[in-house]
Amino acid sequence: MASITLPGAIRISLHPSTAANSASSRRPKTQTHLPSSFPKSNPIKSSLSSHNNPTSNNNIPSSSSNSAPIQSLLSHPIISKTLIISVPAGILLFTLGGGSGGGNNFFNGGGGGGGGGDGSWWSRFFSPPAFAKDEETEGWDPHGLPANIVVQLNKLSGFKKYKVSDILFFDQRRRSTVGTEDSFFEMVSLRPNGVYTKAQLQKELETLATCGMFERVDLEGKTNPDGSIKVTISFLESTWQSAEKFRCINVGLMPQTKPVEMDPDMTDKEKLDFFISQEKDYRRRIDRARPCLLPTPIYRDVMKMLSDQGKVTARSLQKIRDTVQKWYHDEGYACAQVVNFGNLNTKEVVCEVVEGDITQLLIQFQDKLGNVVEGNTQFPVVWRELPKQLRVGHVFNIEAGKQALRNINSLGLFSNIEVNPRPDEKSEGGIIVEIKLKELDQKSAEVSTEWSIVPGRQGHPTLASIQPGGTVSFEHRNIKGLNRSFLGSVTTSNFFNPQDDLAFKFEYVHPYIDGVYSPKNRTFRTSCFNSRKLSPVFTGGPGLDEVPPIWVDRSGVKANITENLTRQSKLTYGLVVEEITTRDESSHIAIAGQRVLPNGGISADGPPTTLSDTGIDRVAFLQANITRDNTKFVNGAIVGDRNVFQVDQGLGIGSKNPLFNRHQLTLTRFLQLKNVEEGAGKPPPPVLVLHGHYGGCVGDLPSYDAFTLGGPYSVRGYNMGELGAARSILELAAELRIPIKNTHAYIFAEHGNDLGTSKDVKGNPTEVYRRMGQGSSYGAGVKLGLVRAEYAVDHNSGTGAIFFRFGERF
Amino acid sequence: MAGQIVREWSGIQQFPLATQTKLLEYLGTLKQENVDSLTILVMGKGGVGKSSTVNSVIGERVVAVSAFQSEASRPVMISRSRAGFTLNIVDTPGLVEGGYVNDRAIDMIKSFLLDKTIDVLLYVDRLDAYRVDTLDRQIIKAITDSFGKEIWNRAAIVLTHAQLSPPDGLSYEDFFSKRSEALLKVVRLGGRIKKQDLAFSMPVILVENSGRCNKNESGEKVLPNGISWIPKLVKTIIDVVSNGSNGILVDKKLIEGPNPNEQHKWWIPLIAAAQYLLVQKIRGLIKDDIAKESKAAWELRDIGAAKRKF
Repeated sequence: MASITLPGAIRISLHPSTAANSASSRRPKTQTHLPSSFPKSNPIKSSLSSHNNPTSNNNIPSSSSNSAPIQSLLSHPIISKTLIISVPAGILLFTLGGGSGGGNNFFNGGGGGGGGGDGSWWSRFFSPPAFAKDEETEGWDPHGLPANIVVQLNKLSGFKKYKVSDILFFDQRRRSTVGTEDSFFEMVSLRPNGVYTKAQLQKELETLATCGMFERVDLEGKTNPDGSIKVTISFLESTWQSAEKFRCINVGLMPQTKPVEMDPDMTDKEKLDFFISQEKDYRRRIDRARPCLLPTPIYRDVMKMLSDQGKVTARSLQKIRDTVQKWYHDEGYACAQVVNFGNLNTKEVVCEVVEGDITQLLIQFQDKLGNVVEGNTQFPVVWRELPKQLRVGHVFNIEAGKQALRNINSLGLFSNIEVNPRPDEKSEGGIIVEIKLKELDQKSAEVSTEWSIVPGRQGHPTLASIQPGGTVSFEHRNIKGLNRSFLGSVTTSNFFNPQDDLAFKFEYVHPYIDGVYSPKNRTFRTSCFNSRKLSPVFTGGPGLDEVPPIWVDRSGVKANITENLTRQSKLTYGLVVEEITTRDESSHIAIAGQRVLPNGGISADGPPTTLSDTGIDRVAFLQANITRDNTKFVNGAIVGDRNVFQVDQGLGIGSKNPLFNRHQLTLTRFLQLKNVEEGAGKPPPPVLVLHGHYGGCVGDLPSYDAFTLGGPYSVRGYNMGELGAARSILELAAELRIPIKNTHAYIFAEHGNDLGTSKDVKGNPTEVYRRMGQGSSYGAGVKLGLVRAEYAVDHNSGTGAIFFRFGERF
Repeated sequence: MAGQIVREWSGIQQFPLATQTKLLEYLGTLKQENVDSLTILVMGKGGVGKSSTVNSVIGERVVAVSAFQSEASRPVMISRSRAGFTLNIVDTPGLVEGGYVNDRAIDMIKSFLLDKTIDVLLYVDRLDAYRVDTLDRQIIKAITDSFGKEIWNRAAIVLTHAQLSPPDGLSYEDFFSKRSEALLKVVRLGGRIKKQDLAFSMPVILVENSGRCNKNESGEKVLPNGISWIPKLVKTIIDVVSNGSNGILVDKKLIEGPNPNEQHKWWIPLIAAAQYLLVQKIRGLIKDDIAKESKAAWELRDIGAAKRKF
């Protein structure tokens, strides 16, 4: 199986040229399912499967479900597991009647016959490569006849394997040979330089004769001097009277019309009655059939084709079939097939389509070995992720399958996801959608350790100075099969004295609080945490480098509810209770920032660090955040707008009864400056990013909650907090992104302003640390993978510097 | 102030007779207006001659001065009384250190002045400095931030080192008016005083503390323009006092400024309510987004929305 694998691209599998021995063995191949996994360490693991069924032309008459391969594909680009959608395409539902002409149904035409074909011309259409290169090694027998004589098929010896050097098509009506580009050519499974027995050639002829495309078909050989033969197939194409109307019906799930054998002894009247009753049956069938999805423009195209053509010919029907089928397949209806043309020789051509109606949706769990097991995950959890279009009664669409794949993958519960449509044996034309899932382990724990050697006395490391540190984390996923999870991690740099710098986080996530069947998607989260951060409030301005740092330790409990409004937009609201401790460099509680005196001394009467003036604040407040995100990716460039509004509302509970309202509004627009064609590998458009951020606070504002200006996510080109710390701030930024090759370069300008509110922060840290309270910067940069390399000019001092940053600014 | 021993203003006797007469006359006018004490705050950059001016006015060497280093590291109040009238002069350390405004010095001055009323602010600078820069402006701003704009209604600019020969081509008067104009402009900018407000035009007084100061026939120290400056200084101070504005009472509120944490606190419920409405509004917009979301053709077809158009 040949496959093209591009990370981040949809996988395409070309199909099967590996089916090497099919021509000689002539056995219908069993379906092969070949997920080829990459090593686990590979970040992009994927596999693809294809239902690969090079069909033989040595058909078993009774077989009515023959799968021709078509497409398989697709795995999600950024995921580290195996996702598969496969489509066994040719769910064969059509029967081919023997006899030619005559009847008013095309394929079902004359009834009788062997019912010989199983649609092999169909499959042949899809599987030519299967026969391509397997003959070289096979032996063949020379014809043993004089060269350049024409031999009828029945004159050939049944014991010899003939090598066919060439195949010619001779159109008896046009009195000319047709080229290989002719649509009929595809119907023949014989290939030049192939080796065939007489029986095979006869079968081939029979197949052609019974397919309904030809009124008459003959096969004759011409001997070559080198012992091979040249085969000429002469045919007379079937034609019917011209039609004006075209109709397409969905005959999926309807019983196929069974060809009724006509008694040759019938009188003319009986024959007439028979035809009339057949016609009636057919009309009833049409009436019962559901309308199909085929849109009006395609109808119009087909009608035009018919009116241009005059007589309806086999070729034109083939063309119609191709047009209709192409539309279906282009739109993702991978299981749709044109199975029959009916009502020929009337004014109307009826195209019978099996669209691929879903009759059953199966969700299956597999263990690591692929055995079907009873999964831990409850069905509704998976069920709610499926698009409606994948449910019973809808037409299978591969896009819906992909959507399901993505949605299920986003649950993060499965290591392997397959979405597989397969024909329903019990109901003809039906599709069973199978979703096969491999669950991840429910519990996982991880310990990572590190040793740090701290120099002891006299600078020499001693045994006691070796400190074991590390992180212990554990996760319990998918509790009760409802995707609830509990996770925790503890990090310390010294297990002997963990109280020094123990960092921990425990979180419990409870999705579907409105019930797993509710369309509302709300998730409850609660966590218990601590963190330690360097306060950017106590940072010096340009002339003041050495400001003694203040550490802000927060520990507390958080509980919130997240409501997913769309895939990207969400509303979160909850309660935070925390204790904030401010410490100086040596981890002592600091009640005020230190200031450096001009004479180099340090005084401890800087701005107060906490609201309570004790160095420890306790506070409870409500927090709400609403994100409206309409961004999407156009060839890898983000386009659209994203707005975030966040409020922290103090409740007057805590040290000094803090009552405050702290609010932030962030508006970001990604304006696409040029319309570009979308598609993989196409260049992204240039994008102008406009960004505004307002933050403000009314009421009690401790310094650790003041808004700081400057830094990679505020005003680039400055250090964190280098411009000031204020009660209200406004930041404006513009960035122009120009795509260059696989990445983009950008220029930007940013401005941050304290709106004159620095003095409204107690102790005025902006002024104490000699900061400007406002500043602009501009610069240019280029994105190199995940890293941004940029040169930013600080407008206050007029100097520039190069920065390397991870991630995106906006 | 109560515990402080107010000494007799004996230094006044050292002044020449003409000066003494004038000073007593001015004090008499003040007494007539029922003013029996006066607090003068002297501020300025370091080394401009604040302390020397104080010494000159008191007529004693009350504050140590040195030519090469700043002596005063904290504010000092000198109080002298004469004939039932008390004169308080607050000498302060220089406001500039290391090229920046010394916030600590200002804080110190503020806490020193707690519960006192400033009648007059003397902002001291040198006449023989040629230009003004942003530092001057920052000093003025710092003073304004500490004591409020109103202090400039009770202020006078004092220019020391008045005995100089101006640079080429400028007459003494021209130089003086240029220099005072520049300073007044800085005060206006730094104090964020609107142009129309400055109609009162702050007085500018020239001072020469040096012992080499020229003297007139009655032994009074006179400036190059012939004016005897000590009486003139006192006269101007008295004019400022009686210009109708009020003295600045330095209380706790003035020192700490309004507590920003208490400001607008009563608006919080209203703000929170408005924010609730805003969130609801955004939710509405998101709902519209869902409705407007461009769906793929296959999704629409299935719900019959495509009507076979595509």
